[in-house]
Amino acid sequence: MKKSSRGLIVFWAAILLGTVWAEAAETIRIGAIYPLTGAIASSGQRSKHAIETGLDLVNEKHDLDLPFARTEGIPNLKGAKIQLVWGDSQASPEVGKTEAERLITIEKVVMLLGAYNSGVSKSASFVAERYKMPFLCPESSSAELTERGLKYFFRIAPTDAEDSVAFFNFLDEMKAKKRQVERVAIVCENTEFGVHAAKEARKQAESRGYKVVADISYPFKSTDVKSEVLKLKAAKPDVIIQGSVLGDMMLFARTYKEQKLAFNANLSYCGGYHDPSFALNLKKDAEYYMGQCTFSTDFIAKKPVLGKINEMYKKRSGVDLDGVTMEALTAVLVLADALNRAKSTDSEALVNAFRTTDFATPTLPGDGVKFNEKGQNAKIISYLTQIQNQEYRVVWPESMASKPLVWPFVPWEKR
Amino acid sequence: MDLTILAQILISGLFMGMIFALIAVGLTLIWGVMDILNFAHGEFLMLAMFISFWMFSLWSIDPLLSLPFNVVVLFAIGVGTYYLIIKRVLNAPGLTALLATFGLSILIKNSAQFVWTPDFRQIQGAWLSDHTVELFSLNFSVAEVFAAIGSGLITYLVYYLIFKTKTGRAIRASALDRQTALLMGIHIDRIYAFTFGLGGACVGVAGSLMINFYYVFPGVGSLFGILAFVTVALGGFGNITGAFWAGILIGIVETAGGVFIAPAFKYTVVFILYLIILSFRPKGLFGW
Repeated sequence: MKKSSRGLIVFWAAILLGTVWAEAAETIRIGAIYPLTGAIASSGQRSKHAIETGLDLVNEKHDLDLPFARTEGIPNLKGAKIQLVWGDSQASPEVGKTEAERLITIEKVVMLLGAYNSGVSKSASFVAERYKMPFLCPESSSAELTERGLKYFFRIAPTDAEDSVAFFNFLDEMKAKKRQVERVAIVCENTEFGVHAAKEARKQAESRGYKVVADISYPFKSTDVKSEVLKLKAAKPDVIIQGSVLGDMMLFARTYKEQKLAFNANLSYCGGYHDPSFALNLKKDAEYYMGQCTFSTDFIAKKPVLGKINEMYKKRSGVDLDGVTMEALTAVLVLADALNRAKSTDSEALVNAFRTTDFATPTLPGDGVKFNEKGQNAKIISYLTQIQNQEYRVVWPESMASKPLVWPFVPWEKR
Repeated sequence: MDLTILAQILISGLFMGMIFALIAVGLTLIWGVMDILNFAHGEFLMLAMFISFWMFSLWSIDPLLSLPFNVVVLFAIGVGTYYLIIKRVLNAPGLTALLATFGLSILIKNSAQFVWTPDFRQIQGAWLSDHTVELFSLNFSVAEVFAAIGSGLITYLVYYLIFKTKTGRAIRASALDRQTALLMGIHIDRIYAFTFGLGGACVGVAGSLMINFYYVFPGVGSLFGILAFVTVALGGFGNITGAFWAGILIGIVETAGGVFIAPAFKYTVVFILYLIILSFRPKGLFGW
């Protein structure tokens, strides 16, 4: 071998080693599992855009009044930057579990983030627990997730149990105003999310003396929902409580209209209602549906910084932030805070940091994130929104409302 | 339960079933002639729906007007699939063709997600969409009525083509005995390409009619794919009228099962029926 070529090899080797070393020192690898393809990929991709917006806030310098925005990377870790490694669950608990294994063992991530569907969060977080690795769940709403006694699981979103309380507080108020809300129908998909949401709704309805006239559990990803809607029609509900992802939700809305189903209100758990595509696609047929909410563009008027974040997100996704995506974005700030206080990427130090989290952030109602002993965010509050003129407007509680509530649900022929 | 709801169940099930049949006709045709199960059939449907969707949302061309265009495009896609993929694996063991079409389905689905993003889209304001008619206090969506009529027409047309025309006779001859058909001077290659094209064209019609009442996203094909396979198997592989009646049976059983047993079990009822019928008639209802 010629001397010059030997020199060249040494030169390239040095460069290569240098970059590897530099990368090792300056990036923290975090695994994120979302439904990036498959039946609810649109929702998964929106969460991805939101997480990348959060990442941009933490990793780069921005002149915003928000934690970690004015610095680059994690201050206490010498400005180390967060790098995400994506896993695609295809909305399947089995695939999500395999992806968690892969991210932990092969990609060597220091913690996991995810996973939109409650069923996937459930299976993937068991894997994280086995490897004693923190699992931060921004948005899955099944109350069961934080009732399993896991030590490494933390959730930001309100649970379906909390949302059910909010729904029935709202209905109690309506009842006090002499509005028809007695007959309640529950329509939820037969998944981890839907089954538990339905259980919580039933519990609230029964304990407060409402009459559950139909309790419908339908197959997730249905080709049609005629039989479900015909059953509802026979039950004549005043209020429908709905737990559906986007595709099914669109199908239900279309079939309600086709069968001229009359009801006074439709209240959605965290799901398809919140995806802006619902209002965009169905236009006037999406009007007056209601749902729980942890973010609405209405909040921007009260907290201008949220408008700037919304712009950053909109550039990536083309739509406004909603509650689900805002939770995902906030999760990046929460994990940055945990890393910053742990001053290490060691999982025990990190999990201790999560346990002692008391993080002030303007991004979510309740203005902060603090996990209780079960790993549930104790500070989060749910409001109710209603779609009016294709916008998600806060309508309840009245003190927070930006628009008056439209009651009852305007009949199809009068639109 | 009153009589109107019962009638509504039957009629809604009938319409839904005719839509399954519409998708299944093309699939069963290809199977009957070539013994190939086209796994990309659902993705062809998705492409057809997207074509209609874009023509409507970009140039305001109503799905009914873009229907002929869709038929031509999907016919071409079918023919192209035959020459580029199927022809090369025709003489390989049976599983090869199956895997080839399966691979094609993944390619189409993921390319669609890449190009059009995974967003759900639905059209509003087309001639057929958005209208419901009320008859004897029963409600029908106009778009579904049209799709059901389309389904009947397409089944009849394909049936006519196969059983009453010269090309049809050549197709049947190729299906019965490939070697002899070749000896009789039938251009097997062209017949196969034509059959694949025809299968595509059927789904082209289905896509144009379905976009009026169903959302489209890159994975929509797999939602209908499995029911289309069951329809084909239940009607008897390769049997065109069989697929039509099986589709209707599945639609009614699914809707009625959902109302009378429980919505969560509506597909279970369909699959139990499928298993029962297949254990008595292994070649399907109309198989021979």
